[in-house]
Amino acid sequence: MGFTSCHWTTITHTLSRGRCRIERRRTRVTAPGNVGQMVGDEWMLRLTGLTKQYGPVTALDDLTLTLPRGLVGLVGANGAGKTTMFRLLLGLSQPTLGSIEVCGIDVSADPIAVRSRLGYMPEHECLPLDQTAADVVATFGELSGLPARAARQRASDILDLVGLDEARFRPIGGFSTGMRQRTKLAQAIVGDPQLVLLDEPTAGLDPLGRDEMLALVARLGSFGISVIMATHLLDDVQQVCEHVVMIDAGRLVVSGATESLLERTGRVTIDVGPNGDAIVSALVAAGMTAVVVDGLVEVTVDGDAQLDVVRDLVADLGLPLYRLTSRLTSLDEVFLRRAAEVS
Amino acid sequence: MSRVGTGAVYDRGYRPYEGRRGLRGAATFALYKASIRRALGLRRSWRQKVAPFVLLGVVTVPAIVNVGIGYVTRDRVGSDRLQIITYRDYVGVSSALLLFVALVAPDVICPDRRQRVLPLMFARPLTGADYVIAKTAAIASILFAFSYLPQVVLFLGNMLVSDAAGTYFTGHMDVLWKVPVAVVLLALYYAVIGVAVASMTDRRIVAGAAVIGLFLVTSIASGVIVGDFEPGHGSAAALINVLALPLYLRDLVFLGHIDAKSPMSGVANGGLLSAVTYAVILFVGLGVLLRRYRWVER
Repeated sequence: MGFTSCHWTTITHTLSRGRCRIERRRTRVTAPGNVGQMVGDEWMLRLTGLTKQYGPVTALDDLTLTLPRGLVGLVGANGAGKTTMFRLLLGLSQPTLGSIEVCGIDVSADPIAVRSRLGYMPEHECLPLDQTAADVVATFGELSGLPARAARQRASDILDLVGLDEARFRPIGGFSTGMRQRTKLAQAIVGDPQLVLLDEPTAGLDPLGRDEMLALVARLGSFGISVIMATHLLDDVQQVCEHVVMIDAGRLVVSGATESLLERTGRVTIDVGPNGDAIVSALVAAGMTAVVVDGLVEVTVDGDAQLDVVRDLVADLGLPLYRLTSRLTSLDEVFLRRAAEVS
Repeated sequence: MSRVGTGAVYDRGYRPYEGRRGLRGAATFALYKASIRRALGLRRSWRQKVAPFVLLGVVTVPAIVNVGIGYVTRDRVGSDRLQIITYRDYVGVSSALLLFVALVAPDVICPDRRQRVLPLMFARPLTGADYVIAKTAAIASILFAFSYLPQVVLFLGNMLVSDAAGTYFTGHMDVLWKVPVAVVLLALYYAVIGVAVASMTDRRIVAGAAVIGLFLVTSIASGVIVGDFEPGHGSAAALINVLALPLYLRDLVFLGHIDAKSPMSGVANGGLLSAVTYAVILFVGLGVLLRRYRWVER
């Protein structure tokens, strides 16, 4: 592959009756590029040298990656190639080069079999406005291969699940943007797919609607449905997805577990209640940099040894330790830095 | 005294589907059924039901009138009995049928593209050919029903007002296969043309006008070129009449030859030419549709 490998160390903190336990976990990622080893049925999608060109424009450029089951965020700016990738996954467009395997099936060889396992929620308006939500979702259930009676029953259940139980017999033309997004999600999952492709599911939603939609997306994972959520909103991905794929101008920037991509900034935040000044004085006396910000103490640490110093000073002063968290970079920062590196 | 309820709200959650699941055939049939429902305005507001069912009523009126006249003149003997329409004549192009094609074909086709529903459909186990088959078959089925049901009314009515229903039935056994065959040829032809023309645009009004325009313009052009003609001295130029072309095949089904009053009468191999032209138009129409829906561009 030619990609360089590195190890990211993530730290989780568990508080139990004032005692602090620090666990170190090592997660292997490959950067820029792919997650490490996935075998058997752990993976749901495999792209090999995927390239798509529209005339002189290269929409996707030699993408090679393997994605695990679960909630995956596909991140990129507008025009990065997210929708193109979805079209290729659905077999609606042919790759110029490379191959795609979804749930172990080659898309080029058997697109129908792949589509019968997928659900798709496009970004744009795509619902017949003069029909009721119940009719539309039931019809798409039948189109997914369900018998008519089962499709109507599932349409009712799914519309209830997405919060449209009361509105399901109203024409979609009278729906708000949030209700239409929910209807789009409902039609995507009514056929009980193994994998759902969500293209900008929170587009056009107000903050409350966005949170509700993200909560619904997060629930899909617990139902055993894998999700690929394309978005340019990194906050959405950070909130919901277990795995992130970042693409820029059709090229792979990075792919890895969300947690592992959030790098440590070298600072930790500690919450010792109203005793911040005491611990700051002790830390400064120990030669470390610490300040109180909004009632919390921010400490710059250089290596794991200094974390032990922080813990010991808190214990020596007999202060209660309510929280100790490692400050992480945001996905925005990761994306900008990695995209610059790749380009 | 009010009582405190003891009910509970349950989250039914999500249940995976573990039953039987169809593939292309099931999806195509589902789209066929959905298209028929849409064309007839079923599961839609009452306004959407008015046009198709009024037009069905209109195309049935001649049969009812014919049966009524037959009942009034039932005491007359032989040729004194009035009959305003024959089974062959009734397999024909009425304004209502033309209007129906121009109304329904765009309504079934155009919104899918205009409202951008096609990507959702093609994300299912469905191909472009399946889509074309489902939509064309839906329109053809409705056209068949609209043309065949009045014939059933006419046949049953004539049988009931005849002197002996059994004798009438046995004497008109040929109608039982000629009418369905001729109606199938007619329905398939108008369905393919209607759907093919409607697929060219996403605006229903434009598609409807284009369907009517195609039929009327070719009909008028043919009339101008052929002009007045004596029975048995028609012209092959009548073939450009896209509207009337299936009527020549209808004549072949009912009579075995082109009717003497037809503008194609007297043309050498007129029946064969009509059949070939019919096949070419169907082939071109289906080719346009298959090409149009080969890939979804939105």
